[in-house]
Amino acid sequence: MAEAKFTTIKTTMLERLHIDGFLLFALMCLMGIGLVTIYSSGGQDWNLVNRQLTRLGIALIVMFILAQIPPMAYRRLAVYFYSFGLIMLILVLLVGVIGKGAQRWLDLGVIRFQPSEVMKLAVPLMVAWYISKFNLPPRSRNIAIGFVIVFIPTILIAKQPDLGTSLLVASSGIFALFLSGMTWRLIFFISALGGAFAPIMWFFLMQGYQKQRVLTFLNPESDPLGAGYHIIQSKIAIGSGGVSGKGWLQGTQSQLEFLPERHTDFIFAVFSEEFGLIGVIGLLFIYMCIIIRGLMIANYAQDAFSKLLAGSITLTFFVYVFVNMGMVSGLLPVVGVPLPLVSYGGTSMVTLLAGFGILMSISTQKRLMSR
Amino acid sequence: MAGNANRRASAKTGTSKDRQAKQKTSPMLMQWRFLTVLYSVVLVFVCLAARAAFIQVIEPDLLIQQGDNRTIRIRDNPSYRGLITDRHGEQLAVSVPSKAIWADPKVVHSFDSDTGETQALDKRRFQALAEVLGRDVQSLYDKVDNPKRRFVYIERQVTPAMANFVEELAIPGIYLRNESKRYYPTGEVSAHVVGFTNVDDKGIEGIEKLYNNWLTGTPDKRKIRRDAKGRQVEIIEQHAGEKAGDLMLTIDQRIQALAYRELKEATLYFKAASASVVIVDVHTGEILALANTPSYNPNNRKTVSNHRLRNRAITDAFEPGSSLKPIAILAALEYGTVQKDSIIDTSPGWMRLGGSRVEDPRNYGKISVTEIIQKSSNMGTSKLALSVDKNFLMDTYYNMGLMSTTGSNMVGESNGIFHERNRWSEHEVASLSFGYNISVTTAQLARMYATIGNGGVKIPLSIIKSNEPALELPERVVSHENAMAVLEMMETVTQAGGSGVKASVPGYRIAGKTGTSRKAVAGGYGEEYVNIFAGIAPVSDPKIAVVVLINEPSGDLYYAGDTAAPTFSAIVSGTLQMLNVPPDDDSKTARIYSGGQDAVQ
Repeated sequence: MAEAKFTTIKTTMLERLHIDGFLLFALMCLMGIGLVTIYSSGGQDWNLVNRQLTRLGIALIVMFILAQIPPMAYRRLAVYFYSFGLIMLILVLLVGVIGKGAQRWLDLGVIRFQPSEVMKLAVPLMVAWYISKFNLPPRSRNIAIGFVIVFIPTILIAKQPDLGTSLLVASSGIFALFLSGMTWRLIFFISALGGAFAPIMWFFLMQGYQKQRVLTFLNPESDPLGAGYHIIQSKIAIGSGGVSGKGWLQGTQSQLEFLPERHTDFIFAVFSEEFGLIGVIGLLFIYMCIIIRGLMIANYAQDAFSKLLAGSITLTFFVYVFVNMGMVSGLLPVVGVPLPLVSYGGTSMVTLLAGFGILMSISTQKRLMSR
Repeated sequence: MAGNANRRASAKTGTSKDRQAKQKTSPMLMQWRFLTVLYSVVLVFVCLAARAAFIQVIEPDLLIQQGDNRTIRIRDNPSYRGLITDRHGEQLAVSVPSKAIWADPKVVHSFDSDTGETQALDKRRFQALAEVLGRDVQSLYDKVDNPKRRFVYIERQVTPAMANFVEELAIPGIYLRNESKRYYPTGEVSAHVVGFTNVDDKGIEGIEKLYNNWLTGTPDKRKIRRDAKGRQVEIIEQHAGEKAGDLMLTIDQRIQALAYRELKEATLYFKAASASVVIVDVHTGEILALANTPSYNPNNRKTVSNHRLRNRAITDAFEPGSSLKPIAILAALEYGTVQKDSIIDTSPGWMRLGGSRVEDPRNYGKISVTEIIQKSSNMGTSKLALSVDKNFLMDTYYNMGLMSTTGSNMVGESNGIFHERNRWSEHEVASLSFGYNISVTTAQLARMYATIGNGGVKIPLSIIKSNEPALELPERVVSHENAMAVLEMMETVTQAGGSGVKASVPGYRIAGKTGTSRKAVAGGYGEEYVNIFAGIAPVSDPKIAVVVLINEPSGDLYYAGDTAAPTFSAIVSGTLQMLNVPPDDDSKTARIYSGGQDAVQ
């Protein structure tokens, strides 16, 4: 609360721009680490770095613009946004472009557009809007409708198939529902339902390669040259970094192209090999700071909608980090989730920073209004 | 739940009053739910850090080792096999660069799953590859059938033209690899001496096998770090290997070629099963030529039957017959029972020893020791052998290098066959003296004659031209005087009246001895003959010892004097010229022995 008072007294430049300085600094740190690691893992190719820089620039602009929009506007737009995303998802399944074996893109002529990314923000917006209409904690009926809101896009995305994104979309909605204050009894009930749903998912929803990934995760050595290759290589890369790492540009596993997807999903392995345990702990610390900051923003948000939205965006970001690092270090099965703000890649970067833009809007707009 | 009410109110209205109320209550909103989430987040991060620590601190040795397993490789620098030359540097075996075509079935298969267009293209390319290799395309597909394998040879040692073609085909998963092919410029002429290598460049016959390590050397080894595509990125260690050594043989390729040509002609002409010749420098023991028929082309062994591969001059032992008689004479001279001018009574031309007869073709009567050699008298030789102490006689056989290796160390060398007995019957001793009851190789016989030619000093045979002293030192086995005496006695063989007149070489004094022996078959001796002419030239200053062996001549001629002797003459005549040996103008060449007949044995 002290900070809130402090900022209300003194209006800084960042305040007027609706930028959360702490958050921006932490995000910039991550981006810097990302660029440095991309340069190393991409075979010291400046093209990669430049392209990533361009994307970061675009994403930061998006973040900046979204930070200017007051939370109430988001609330009003939530339904339209969600409906738009849903239509797009259906369109993707009907006329989408196939790439890398999955139907994820809509070709709009100028750009390729991935509607599932929209859903990463649309779902928490929609859930937050819906739940915040009622008296909190919500009733079971509302929760159930909330789940419907979450699972329609989730299933559509899982159909593409894109397990990673559907997981993120589902978790973003579920976090909103969780934060809205559903009872533990209900949580237990839903968990049980989820447990019952798992076999259905296994037999009806998951694709062969996804099942393979799970099996491989359970026993990577069963197929060291095939499906287990990613996990083994990445563990070797991380492990060979040791405590202090091999040094920037010195990682053998990653530099020598043993590691697949080394500048995208598996960039954490490259980072770990080159910067060691010390680097890993530093990176984890930055992520933790961002997440704690996000949770604080959620906690200090002025209304239920903002609270739920901020919490959901933050926790989705957390899921990103956890799933990616868990996957790369062999704790979780291989799911195509990038390491947020560090991995090379465009669409998810924009969505992520758009999320942080909304977070900053929630964080800063309330103060201006409360002044 | 005041908080809840506030939240609902603010959500619905969003008025400033509500917001202010909210602000007041917000510290209270640090609810257990947010705390739970916060603690969970921190817990998960601790777990992630712990996981990283586990991998990086507890497991790293294993993982670093696994990493090294994937990146560190030992690479050999392929080294070309050493050169084999004759004593003048003429190339007998050379290595020429060639290519091997190999396949990575995994890569081949990974391209299979591509679009149909690529597959069709690959099919056409595979068809082209099969055609250039002269193979069935299905057999190629079978070779790359197993996608788990990473290395399969398609074809070894292909020509540069074929390699270029395959390279231009650029079939995914089909690659070329450098290797070397052994080429033998002299072909069948020196095939038995030089031997050959297998497709992996490893010597498996002859000198190629005997000196395989020397010729191969050890390749330079590099411990390198490689990337996933196999490219070398860093050299960690380097061991210089031993360079492949060249090898110079004692063979004189000119003489070798001459000897082989004459031998081949003789084999055809006399319809012989096989033939061998060994030419030895009497002073050094160096083998100047060693040839056999039938031979083979070491550059194309696909259809060669095994019997052609045999280096018969060192592997095959024969009963040498009369060509062994000089030993009995030497033993008698050394033992002192006769002098070189002694007269021996061989009448009545036969005698009974034990239950068996020893006989000459006719009764020679009282003849000199020289005439015993010249006429190849079995009676005379037997009497001389029997006059010597048996142990002394046996020692002489050993001393002349029979029943032991020649010292050349060549692959597959036989020591001959000899049955050591405690008690020798007189007939056994007699038949030993004229070359039965003992089997020797052509090379052993050549060494025996070289010892006589070297004035009684036995020298090990050698095939490698080397400055290092031989393991076996020269050893005087008979006196110079007796050796020279026997040499001069043997000269009469090639002179008028001798059994080997056809072995004579115009202008040179040639000493030698014929040997016509029946081949032993099961239960006795058959109708097949072995014809040997062993000799030394020139008598005035011995340079070379030559043994020609014609095995199983099946034409009209089957006496050594008619088969081996003329072959010997042709070979020796050429050899002496090539060695620049001046012809003898000595009056002895003109001396004519009277009373000689073309005697058998």
